[in-house]
Amino acid sequence: MDCKKATNLITLDLYGELNERERAVLDRHVRECRACAAELEYTKKVFKLLDELKPVLAAEPNWERSWQKIHSGISETPAKNKAQLFPRWRWVYASSAIAAVLILGIVIGKYWFTPSQKPVPMASPTTTSPASLQPALSSHLEDIKPMLLEYAHYTAGDQGAKKIVIDEKTVRGLLIQNLLLKRILAEKDPAAAELLDDLDLVLKEIANQPSQDQQAPSQIKDLINQRGILFKMEVLKTL
Amino acid sequence: MRPFVRFDIYRKDMEELSLIRLAQEGDTLAFRSLFEENKQHVFGIAFRYLKNAEDAEDVLQDTFIKAYHALDKYSPEKGVNFGCWLGRICVNASIDALRRNKVREAHSLDTEEVVDVRANSPRSNPEKTALDIEIRGKIDKALNSLSPKQRMIFILRHYQEYNTREIAEYMNSTEGSVKKHLFRAVDTIKKRLRHLIMESDYGL
Repeated sequence: MDCKKATNLITLDLYGELNERERAVLDRHVRECRACAAELEYTKKVFKLLDELKPVLAAEPNWERSWQKIHSGISETPAKNKAQLFPRWRWVYASSAIAAVLILGIVIGKYWFTPSQKPVPMASPTTTSPASLQPALSSHLEDIKPMLLEYAHYTAGDQGAKKIVIDEKTVRGLLIQNLLLKRILAEKDPAAAELLDDLDLVLKEIANQPSQDQQAPSQIKDLINQRGILFKMEVLKTL
Repeated sequence: MRPFVRFDIYRKDMEELSLIRLAQEGDTLAFRSLFEENKQHVFGIAFRYLKNAEDAEDVLQDTFIKAYHALDKYSPEKGVNFGCWLGRICVNASIDALRRNKVREAHSLDTEEVVDVRANSPRSNPEKTALDIEIRGKIDKALNSLSPKQRMIFILRHYQEYNTREIAEYMNSTEGSVKKHLFRAVDTIKKRLRHLIMESDYGL
């Protein structure tokens, strides 16, 4: 091994990036070469110095101020983001795919459903959640229900009314739970998906309500009532 | 056992993914959570690279705003985790910021946000302090003399402690190229400090 290569390997060795074989080769070279042994010692000194004098931050940055700036930065052009989620070229693919499916459907239908054939009994549409998901859905609804009941029983202007305290982390967890279920059940159970859509709306309202806003709980209560969410939850539970 | 436990197993792994999906649908609350999870990591890269808290805060904001608008391009299926993807944006934003602030960079020794760690050092005495200031000046000059890419690779390896494979991912480069830049960066710093260290009684 030449000394130039050994110098590079010394750097990698001090960063812990050599394998056993490479380290053995380097060790042998350093034992035999005084110049490289000295280079190793010197590099160790430099590394130690760099660590001792590394820049350290005097104070934590102002995270809240940073977030406010980011928030205003991302709120300025929400439409662009929405548009990018489904760019124009994807519409071309989507409409081509729909057209292809329609044509295929017509062709299959023409040959499959001939008048001589007996009408094939249609399978009953799957309008209920698959059995394996039913417990998860029920559990999710149970998790969410106490919070919804608090809002549903909220009375505006009542001096003695208890303030609704919401833990942001819990709401976020419920939102994620809701999203996962919604994605899984979107096609399998339209009724459940519709309820989960409503819950998504309510949870987002709860998560985004300003803490000082006196009107917010009443608005959320109205939303729960207008959508008949508690009723839908009871119905789904009995299915 | 509650049936939801099955979901909880995956929940930690899926939480980030779900937050990303929510953010892609325009949910700023979810994006705030992603900010909270990654702010230290992103700020750390920018601060070590720029050595200035104010500039690093600007890069932090720039990184998250760019990330939000590019969220639809992020696809976890490609095997890049979200932190690494953010890191890439931050690396590019930091390099751009350094190019813009080249004039201020020349005066990096005046940086007020940087705390002098010598105060806590057992070797702290006036002579050492003077030597440390001189050495730090040399380190700064050495870092300034590196190309933006070399400097970033050195910062990521030495201060952020990413390995060369991870850096290659951050820099969208190959491991071999990262190692080559790292050798050059370390070589430059060693050359700049050699005279000072050899002449001093830096008892290491």
